[in-house]
Amino acid sequence: MAMNPTDTALPLRDFPGLAELQDLVIPPSASSQPAVDALKDGRLTLQCCANCHRHRLPVAPVCPYCGSSAFDWKASTGQGVVVSWVRYPRSYLPAFEALIPYVVLCVELTEGPRLFGRLVGKDVEPRIGMPVSAVIERWTDGGHAVAFAATDGAA
Amino acid sequence: MDSRFASSVAIAGVGTLPFTRGEVKESVASFANRAVELALDDCGLERRQLDGLLIHIGSPRGLDYDEMATLLALETRFASQTWAHGRFAGTVIQHAAMALDHGLADYVVCLAAFVNTRFGHHGRVGFPGFSENLREGGGPHAETLHAGLVLPAGGTAMALQRYLHKYNVDREKLAAVALGQRRNALLNPLATMTQPMTLADYQASPYIVEPLRRLDCSVPVDTSVAVILTRADRAKDLRKPPVYLRSYQGIAAGPREFVFGQRGLGINQSEEFDYRPLGGDEPVFRAAGVMPGDVDTLHCYDGFTPHVMWTLERFGFAPMGEAADWMQNGRIELGGELPVNTSGGHLSEGHSNGWGQTAEIVRQLRGEAGPRQIPGCKLAMWATTFGDAVLYGNEPH
Repeated sequence: MAMNPTDTALPLRDFPGLAELQDLVIPPSASSQPAVDALKDGRLTLQCCANCHRHRLPVAPVCPYCGSSAFDWKASTGQGVVVSWVRYPRSYLPAFEALIPYVVLCVELTEGPRLFGRLVGKDVEPRIGMPVSAVIERWTDGGHAVAFAATDGAA
Repeated sequence: MDSRFASSVAIAGVGTLPFTRGEVKESVASFANRAVELALDDCGLERRQLDGLLIHIGSPRGLDYDEMATLLALETRFASQTWAHGRFAGTVIQHAAMALDHGLADYVVCLAAFVNTRFGHHGRVGFPGFSENLREGGGPHAETLHAGLVLPAGGTAMALQRYLHKYNVDREKLAAVALGQRRNALLNPLATMTQPMTLADYQASPYIVEPLRRLDCSVPVDTSVAVILTRADRAKDLRKPPVYLRSYQGIAAGPREFVFGQRGLGINQSEEFDYRPLGGDEPVFRAAGVMPGDVDTLHCYDGFTPHVMWTLERFGFAPMGEAADWMQNGRIELGGELPVNTSGGHLSEGHSNGWGQTAEIVRQLRGEAGPRQIPGCKLAMWATTFGDAVLYGNEPH
């Protein structure tokens, strides 16, 4: 996959819980495989419409803004702001048992799309509007998923 | 008045079993059949006259249409079944109406018979449909497992947090929904919740997913409700007064919708925008030639307390962003301006996927609601956060 040469890989860390990610992610298809592969290389990639140049998530065959099916893969900067957040005082999935209470963010990336990710770091109080940066977590089975950390100096 | 829907279809009979947790020991077919028998008795029809069957929630919590028809000895010439989610109560009624309008059947029974409590809690590992969390487009309520965003409550909590921020709303005002519907349930012998709830109880209730508390959440129950519909001209000759379908509109979906949140909040993939509800210009009102202020009682999908607030806004009962204030001081309770979910709703009667409310609409319009009866109730509405609605009346127009 041709990547933007100016992009940089995102920080990589180990997922602090215990679980096999493969049980918790959408099974990849040929359509989503480029994004899954890029995540292993430390990049969060988005489809970018070749017609209206807007980014989108999740992987979809049609641009939600203009209806075009032509697109390019683009690497995200991983920078965004918190649109909303929730906190789980208990875990309903074994993977997160050791992390409670944990916070899940809805983040709007600077490129536009929104996605959900866990807030990394227990001592960070979430707030709407808080700048965050994507990190990539490596799970015990070698899978990779996106989480978010408060951008330095922003918490 | 737009007369596209001149009440060609009516509810003729309803059968409802008590909403309970862990008490149903019989087969689902037996559980379903008891509701069908009550509904047949309610309208005076014979089983052999039922020639249409609609199933809401199939196997394994309920039964699929084919086994239901076989086990209940229904010889149907029209049958269908929806996806196993609560959001389709209005849609099931609409399918019945369209089938009747087009002559696919003469008497359609809509059957919501499902035993949830044998399977644990919705959204937990092991509950039927858990694998839906890994659909291509994400979970049905925005569940995102790798992020730890689980349970239907997660998506609603995410939308609520954004809503509170965007419209500067005090979340404590949701107590009006939880307390009001509990008071209704205490007047309803079918309801699962039988203990009073105080404001202190509500405020002390622990977070399930902050900012949603346990008492903001509906109560899972086992449900068996049968609703028989027929053409309005046939319904007039049956045992009970017809409850006419005045108008209806379908579920909204697409990139601007998030099923468990108000429009325009920008949760999940939906874009943030300045949502201005159509209110009285919603097709359901225009088709019936009425306005929100004409509705005597509102019944809505209330998986969680914010859904009531958002339904009030979406259908123009309360101004956008102001429903939390609007619904205070008993305004949505019996005796108030707009009694909501008078049987207790999913929050306190039990999560019947909209069928407890449908049965209650029929009672209210027939004058059978006992201590919960709204005097002179003529027009009742089913409506949801996700945009579908049915207007019911005790007159055809």
